[in-house]
Formats: sequence, structure tokens, C-alpha cells
Amino acid sequence: MKQFFSFVIKEARHILRDRRTMLILFGMPIMLMLLFGFAITTDVKNVRTVVVTSQMNARTQAAVERLAQSEYFTIVATAATSREAELLIRSQKADMSIAATAGVKGGGPRWQIMVDGSDPNMAQQWATYAQAILAQPVASEAVSSPSSPLSGGVLVKLLYNPQMRSAYNFVPAIMGMLLMLVCAMMTSISIVREKERGTMEVLLVSPARPLMVVVAKAVPYLMLAFGILVVILLMARYVLAVPLAGSLVWIVGVSLIYILLALALGLLISSVAQTQLVALLMSAMVLLLPVVMLSGMLFPVESMPTVLQWVSALMPPRYYISAMRKLMIMGTGLREVATEVAVLTSMTVFFLTVALVKFKTRLE
Amino acid sequence: MNAIEVNHISKSYGKRVKALTDVSFTVGKGEVFGIIGPDGAGKTSLFRILCTLLLPDSGTALVDGFDVVGQMREIRRRVGYMPGRFSLYQDLTVAENLQFFATLFGTTVDEGYESIKAIYSQIERFSDRKAGALSGGMKQKLALSCALVHSPSVLFLDEPTTGVDPVSRKELWEMLLSLKERGITIVASTPYLDEVRCCDRVAFLSEGVVKGIGKPDEILEQFKDVFNPAGIDKVAESEPSANDSESDNVIEVSHLVKAFGTFRAVDDISFTVKRGEIFGFLGANGAGKTTAMHMLTGLNQPTSGTGRVCGFDIRTEYEQIKRHIGYMSQRFSLYEDLTVAENIRLFAGIYGMKDAEIRTKTERLLQRLDFATHADDLVASLPLGWKQKLAFSVSIFHEPGVVFLDEPTGGVDPATRRQFWELIYDAAQRGITVFVTTHYMDEAEYCDRISIMVDGKISALGTPSELKRRYDQPDMDHVFTYLARQATRSSD
Amino acid sequence: MTLKYLIQKEFLQIRRNAFLPRLILLFPVVIMCVMPWVMNMEVKNIRVDVVDNDRSTASQRLVRAVEASSYFIFNGQKGSYAEALRDVESGRADIILEISDHRCLIAANAVNGTKGSMGSAYLSQIVQAHGLAGVEAAAPESAHMSAASAPSVLTLYNKHQNYKLYMIPALFAIVMMLLTGFLPTLNIVGEKEAGTIEQINVTPVSKWAFILAKLIPYWIIALFVVTASLLLAWAVYGITSAGPIWLIYVLAMLLALFFSSFGLVVSNYSQTMQQAIFVMWFFVVCLLLLSGLFTPVRSMPAWAYLTTYVNPMHYFIDAVRTVFVRGGGFASVAHQACALLAIGCAMAVWAVQSYKKNS
Repeated sequence: MKQFFSFVIKEARHILRDRRTMLILFGMPIMLMLLFGFAITTDVKNVRTVVVTSQMNARTQAAVERLAQSEYFTIVATAATSREAELLIRSQKADMSIAATAGVKGGGPRWQIMVDGSDPNMAQQWATYAQAILAQPVASEAVSSPSSPLSGGVLVKLLYNPQMRSAYNFVPAIMGMLLMLVCAMMTSISIVREKERGTMEVLLVSPARPLMVVVAKAVPYLMLAFGILVVILLMARYVLAVPLAGSLVWIVGVSLIYILLALALGLLISSVAQTQLVALLMSAMVLLLPVVMLSGMLFPVESMPTVLQWVSALMPPRYYISAMRKLMIMGTGLREVATEVAVLTSMTVFFLTVALVKFKTRLE
Repeated sequence: MNAIEVNHISKSYGKRVKALTDVSFTVGKGEVFGIIGPDGAGKTSLFRILCTLLLPDSGTALVDGFDVVGQMREIRRRVGYMPGRFSLYQDLTVAENLQFFATLFGTTVDEGYESIKAIYSQIERFSDRKAGALSGGMKQKLALSCALVHSPSVLFLDEPTTGVDPVSRKELWEMLLSLKERGITIVASTPYLDEVRCCDRVAFLSEGVVKGIGKPDEILEQFKDVFNPAGIDKVAESEPSANDSESDNVIEVSHLVKAFGTFRAVDDISFTVKRGEIFGFLGANGAGKTTAMHMLTGLNQPTSGTGRVCGFDIRTEYEQIKRHIGYMSQRFSLYEDLTVAENIRLFAGIYGMKDAEIRTKTERLLQRLDFATHADDLVASLPLGWKQKLAFSVSIFHEPGVVFLDEPTGGVDPATRRQFWELIYDAAQRGITVFVTTHYMDEAEYCDRISIMVDGKISALGTPSELKRRYDQPDMDHVFTYLARQATRSSD
Repeated sequence: MTLKYLIQKEFLQIRRNAFLPRLILLFPVVIMCVMPWVMNMEVKNIRVDVVDNDRSTASQRLVRAVEASSYFIFNGQKGSYAEALRDVESGRADIILEISDHRCLIAANAVNGTKGSMGSAYLSQIVQAHGLAGVEAAAPESAHMSAASAPSVLTLYNKHQNYKLYMIPALFAIVMMLLTGFLPTLNIVGEKEAGTIEQINVTPVSKWAFILAKLIPYWIIALFVVTASLLLAWAVYGITSAGPIWLIYVLAMLLALFFSSFGLVVSNYSQTMQQAIFVMWFFVVCLLLLSGLFTPVRSMPAWAYLTTYVNPMHYFIDAVRTVFVRGGGFASVAHQACALLAIGCAMAVWAVQSYKKNS
């Protein structure tokens, strides 16, 4: 037992002495939370609009005013012709242009909206918002924010995230990414480093049991991962005002399974890799990239081709992120995440077994 | 009862490399057994098999009565092992390293203190310093302390004294012999002949085959062409003549100081080196040799004092100095992933040599070194001795005024060391000044003049015969020991 | 000309490495073949639960319309709202359409805001188009009116609303960033760990020659990577640049200048590979997220928007999309190119300054 603690202390010292890595490990979640919470949004805001003035009159002017006064659009320029407006959009001076043409007899003006379609999603949203504002009856001059462009006659209720804050979506994903990174990548690198430097030989020949060596190495990273988990949860709750709707016990419980899974993966990598560089690249390629790309963190899994959906089904973080979204944001009970928990648990058991069987007590 | 019994062990890596072939020997309890032989003889593989780190392809071995294949756990509980490439945890302090290894072996620093006192007391002063900040020889001493802090029944040491100064090596062996009295069996490999003579019996291993086992003197006699190559005939010792003009000084140093905080690594040294001289720069581990050399080669700025190398100020004109010197560092520093020819071409190109010139000189060099067939081999695949010869040849390829060699022959076997010194003489004759540090005292005898650094100061300077006369000692080894034992500050 | 020998050495080392040549060849291929399929933020395949309390012909017509829509996956009818909500909670459905008493309630899972809002917007469009009798009856007049004056929308450039077209220029940036950013980062730290840098430091090699020799191979790799990416975009997706190709090369080279220099700066300040990689990764993630690659920069709050002025990734993405998607010429991206050049040069000077031959 004394050996075990001295091991844990040694490992903790390694972590604490490398200030820069520590700074990054705790700086990263804080930075990501702030960026996703405040900076990165897909809200329609400050869309740079050009007004084509060729056929303007008082009525259309009023509509343009409405547009300008909304927080969604900013009029950045006026252009004489549509052609000129298009040029402005092409050189990224504007995103959208509106032009009025003489309407049908007696009716209102006919609007033509030109929108930069490079980003299809945003283009569509801009157009929808602009349409809604322009189509508002002239009578209701009072500029109401178009909370209704989406509803029009139908009652729309956005569940769990009524303000559509992207933080709700990203907090679980950040947890999935960072826990994997800290546990798998750091553990594997720290084991491989001992191999590379030659200290592993001494550790193996010492009376300490190899399994104890490995477990003792994992403990500080486990604690580090918990520290990061706490930082993320606290920031989510108090800085980003993301509700922790579900039971905290289960959130931590499922995270624990996931952390164990990540440790097993790290151990597996360390028994395959011979140099730090390989361990680093393997964890980056095999763990980090798929987590970011295929787990539904940034890009929805449903929109991928079937083959990639299958690949994504093999990614542990996908289940963790999905479970966390349900537990944390939607506030469901354990019953709803039973599938995810079952998959995670069986993956953990599988990888842990393979890692322990594969762990080498001798050199190659 | 025998502590170790090795029966017909063979081991090969892949199909081509045979590391060990049918190796058999026994070691009695409480014996000090030496394993000697050139690089690549299979010493490290043998150690690893005995420590249960590798599985032999065939044959059996018993350590302390337990089988290395089947009873791994029993053996690991009873042996101590210090690998040749033992590296400490660089980011832990000296004390933390020692404490960690003590706990790992199930003992405490206090309990094991007696057995490591001789070595550890020298570094104890720096117990709060990180291991990564220690000098090369110091790290080795700490590693030894870590390996010896417990008292196993069998101790395996794979070249434990590489880079350790002669005084400390003597102290280490005195310590090992005291362990022997406590009944601990010791198996060690070493390239130093004086250490070989400390063993009870030695096995000479060459190309994976045991060529002979016996008393050290018998083996050294039997294979004397390997271990005791005839000394080099020194070109008539050029006693410095009085009429040498000032301009003939290639290196002039006066009152040079380098301080790290309050610690003065180099403390007010002054000396001159003449053109074509072989200048031996000796000193115990951490006496400040490497730091002084870094200042002379323009890697470090001096704290105070002046120095000129090839007529350029080391403080301001260090980039010009670099044009006129060659340097070979303690760590082997050619590019391992380039071939022999590519390394030569790269460094020649860096010094601005023309393509045609490079080609003809490369050919000549490879011929002289007998490397012609290995021109396209990766440097990583060469044995250590070859690498060192190559690194030296590369460092003088551009005909520099001075070449600085920092422990160029550490861990190299005697025969190869001799060849290395032939190259040095060759260079000196062509007018290249050689500035060399070494821990081999036989090499010190080869130098024209030597200085011995103690505690950052130069405490003796002169030709080897002068120094022997002055301190009334039979050979350089004794001169060195006499001076180094006067050190007040422990090496760092 | 010592530079020649140093560059030769760098190439030999890259070639000798067991891993790097394969990485450089395969990485762009894999990224270009897989990522456009992944980086698809199109909202698609939304699963709808319908709770029909009305059971009128109108409501059934609406249900059929939802079923027919290619946009939604009809997940079946549920008996009650509570039952449907459980479906949402366990992740089997994304959106609920409840029809009762001539009124419609659309409840969308908005944890993913974009998906929730776009899904509900589409669904309400369908509801309006196949409107219930009640809704229709309410104001036929005004419905007609608004139809007449409904603004027409003309989508420029990406007419088929193809997400791949939007993402492929962004992928150029990601591939460049990973290859020309991370490889140099590992380079100098690698020499530090191997000890060879000490040997170089005692030679008369000038700082500029040494750093340039480290940079140039990565620019050449960058050239290869851009060519490969452009060819793959054309061969696999049939997508070609709308603007001049040379401009894309110029922009890519400028980005490579920045990232390779930045990598060397990080490398110069780091002691170990792990440190270098972590620091680099931190900055890369920040640059990437704030670059407008995934989300529009103008939606950001003012403080975050300010950072885009020094974010080379933002200038590159902006410019390369202008050229590739919108077909802009040099005049359209001159401002971004100048900014990239300035930031890149500043970083290169820093890389040289931070490399110390004498301490």
C-alpha cells in the first residue's frame, strides 16, 4: 500500500511540475466553455445588408427602416443596381441584398432578396428572417421582433432549450472530448515515456506488481479528470447558466464509467506504442479526431452517410455525449439513457479486459 | 549453491540478428562476476534475460534458484537491476527520485542509507535540485544510488560507470565489494580495465558467444589484443619552447567565470592552448568542464572574464568562432536518421565547402576509416565505437583551427578507443588543435598538456610527466585521485 | 549556400521517417474523401412523432403530408403527448406534432438549437401549406395577400444549397493547418530531445538559414497538399473553384507561412514534445473556432469579433470561400491576402528571433 501511494505521489508530481501542460489542461475547458457559451453562435445577427435603391418609395423605405432597426440586420451600403449589390456580396462586403420592384397592381411592393448562399443553413435562416420582417403588415408599425417568423399560425414550443443557446448542445460534447483526452492521451503518454526513458525496465524488475504500477499511474489522471469535470459542471451552471436538470449522482456515475473506458483505451495504446510520438499521434488520430468529427459534437450524426453512421456507432464518446445531453440538459431519468449506459459499460469491460491481457510484463 | 546458472541460452531478434548463441556459465553466491566484451556483444540481452525482461529462444537460466521463464515474480522480488540506459525522472528532485525508488523496492532511504553513503553523500547537497538539471556523471551517480538503495540477493549492473570520473568509480567499486561481504551476488559489465580487475571472475562475450571465462588477469592476458592494445607511440613530446610567440595561442582564457545564481560552475579559470597541441581538460563530474567548453564554443555567455578562440572574442564574436572550430558533444549528435555519407555532406555543406570538394574528401575519409562499404548505412545502425569515430571525423572535416571533444570515448571498448586516438594524433599532426575531456586516465597520458579542474578552478596544469613529477605519483590516475580528493564542494 | 544542404537534410529526414511520408500522402486523401460527408450541418432526417387528437380528414391529410416529406422521418402516431415526450427523452424522436381542436402544437427538442429551430420552421411550413381547415378559414383574404407580396428569394453562388461546396474550402484550411502547423512544431523539439540541435548551434549556420530550411520543406508540402485537395474535390465531388486557381495557391502559401512559423515558435519555447503539441493544439482550436469556419463571425459578440482581426484563419477562410465559392478575383480578397502576409511575416520574424544559438 505504501508503494502504491508513493507511486501516486510521484505521478502527481510529474503532472504538477509540467506547468504548461497543466495550464493547457485546465485552460482548455475554461476557454472552450467561454467560446462556446458566448462567442460561437449561429444566431442571426448583424447580417450585412445592401439596399438596392433603384425603385424606392416611401412605403418600401419604411420596410427597410424596419429591417435596419431589428437587431438581425445592419444596412451597410446602398447600391444603384442589383449587379452592383452582387459585387459587394462577392467581395464579402455584404451578405444579403434587398431590392423592391413595382408590385402587382394595388398590392404592396414586390421584394427581391438576394442572399449569399455559401453557407446554406445561414442563408436559409437569413432569408426567412428577412421575409418575415418585410412581410409584416404596414399597419403594425410598431416594430416587434420577429419571434414569430418561425411560427406563423402554429404554436411552436422549443423544448429544453427555448433560447436555442448553443452552449446547451456543446457542454456535454466538451466533457466527452476533454475526459477522453486527459484520461486516454495523458495516461498512454506517461506510460510510454517511462518505456522510452528506460525507467520501465526498472519498474518491471522491481518487486512491485506490474498491475499495481499501472493502476497507480492511472489514479492521478483519474483525479485530474474529475477536477476537470467539476470545473466544467461549475462553469456550465454558474457562468453559462446551463441547467443541470438531471440527477448529479447519475451524471457523475456515467462519467465515471466513461473515464474508466478512456483509461482502458489509454492503457491499450500504451501497450502498442513504443515512442511518445506514436502514442501522441495514435491518441490524436484514433481518439481525438473521431470524437470531434464523428460523435455528433459539431456535426449531426443523422446527416452522415450510412457507412459513417456505422463507424460513428463504434465511437464511445457518442454514447457518452448522448447520455449527458439527456441527463444534464433534458433532465431525463436513468431509464431513458439505459441503452447508452449499457453500451458504455460493455465497451469498458471489453477494452479493460483486452488492455489487461495485452499489458506486457516483459520487454518485446 | 550457485546464485546463477545459465545453460545454453540463445536469443535472436528477427531472423538476421543473433544476439546470444549457446551461452552457459555459473556464478557462485557472493561472487562478483564481470561480463566484458565489445559493443553489440549481447551483454544487454543477457542482462535482460536474467532479469526476466526478455524470454530466451532456447536454454534455461536459474537466478537464485528460480527459473527466469516460469518464476518471474519470485525473481523480480529478489534481484536489483540497473540498465545501461537508466534514466531518472528528470522532473523530480534528487531526494524525490531516491525516495521513490526506495519505496518501490520496499525499503526506506534511512534503512538503505549505509549501502549508498559513499556515492550519495556526494550529491546529497543537491537533494532539492531536479535530476534533469544535473550533469551527466552526476545523474549516473544518482541512478546508482537509486539502484543500490535496497539490498537484493543478486544485483545486475549494466555498464554502471559510463561517464563517471575515476575517483567516484573507485568509491563505487569499494562499495560493491562491501556489498559482496554481505553475501550479495553482483553481475556487472564494464569497459574499464581497472574495474574488470576488481571482479572475482569474468566472462568475455563477443558476438553473442562466450569466448572465455576465468580470473580477470587470465582473460585479459588471453585476449590482450582486444583489451590491451599496444600504447600509441607518442610523437616526440613537444616541450613548449620559450620562444613561442603569443600569436601561436589558439585559445587564451583569463579569469573566466560562469555563475548560475550564486553557484559558480566555472570559477575564475585562466589558461592558454597552443596551435597543434592536444590539450586534455580533466576534472571530476560536475567540476565545470562542460560549462567551460560551452563558453569557449559560443553556446553560453560567460558571466565575467575574457577569452579568445582562434583570435575571436568569445563574448562578442562567437559566430566567427563557430566558423573556425569543430565540436563533438557528450551525447552522440549526428543525425541518426541520415546515412553516413549524408551526415558528412550536411555538415560539410554547412561550413560552406564546395560539392566537388566534399565528394573527393568524403571518399578519402571513408577509405581511411574503412567505412567505404557502409557509406549508405543509417547512422542509427552503426555500433557506438564507429559512430564516435565518424562523429570525430565529421567534426574535423572542414579543417577547423580547434576541435572540442567532450568525453568522446565514453562507453567505448579499449580497442576502438585506441583507433580513436590514432585519429586524434592524425588531426594534431595536420595542425588541428585538440581540446578534449575524458575520464580515462590512460588517455590523459596521451595528451601533450593537461589541466585538472577541481571545484570550478584549475588546480593543476602541465605535461603529464611534469604533473607526475610535481605531485610525486606513479601515473595520471594517482595524480587525478590525489587532486580530486581535495575537492571541498561535491560535484554537481 | 548552406541553405541547400539544410533543406536536403530536412527532406531526407522526412523521407526516412516511417510515418511522415504516409501521413503527408494519406492525410489529405482521407480528409477530403470522408470529411465533406461528415461536416454536413444540413438538418436532415428529423424524426417526427404525431399525436393526432383531432382525427379529422384535415388532420389526416396533414399527417400524410408529413409522412411524404423527404425532410422528415415519420416515426408513427402516438396516443398522447406524454407518450411522445418519452420518445423524445429517450432519443427516439426529435420533434412532436400535436394536432387538437384545429390547433397545432409543435414541440421540438432544441438541445441542438439549429436542428430544433430549423426542424420546427419546416414543420410549421408544412402545417401552413396543408393547413387545417380552421386555419385556412380564418383569413383566406390575408393569406392571399401575403402570398402576393411575399418576397422572392434568390440564392447566390451555392444555388443547390450544397454543404460540401461550403465546407471544402474550409477543409483546405484544416488540412493545411494540421500538416504545416503540427509537423514543424514537432521538428525543433525533436532535435532538442535528440541532442542534435547542440551540434548545429556550434556551427556557423545563421539563424535565418536554419529557420528557413525548416520552413521551406513545409511550404513545398503545402503546395502538394493544396494540389491534391483541389484534384480530389474535383474527382470525388465534381466541385471546382469558381474563381482563379492561382489565387487559391497564393492564399494557401500565405497560410502555410503563418502556420509553419507559428509551429516553430511554439517548438522553440517548448522543452518536450508533449508540451509543444498541447500548446499548439490549444491555439489551433481557438483560432479555428473563432475563424468563422463553422459559425458566422458576425454573430459573435463584439469582443470576440475583435479577435478576428488578428486571426489568420479567419482571413484565409473568408478569402478562400470568396474565391472558391463566390468566384471573386484578386480585388475581392486583396485585403485578406495583405493581412495574411503581414501576420505570416511577423510570425516568421518571431520564429527566427526566438531561436537562440547562444544563451
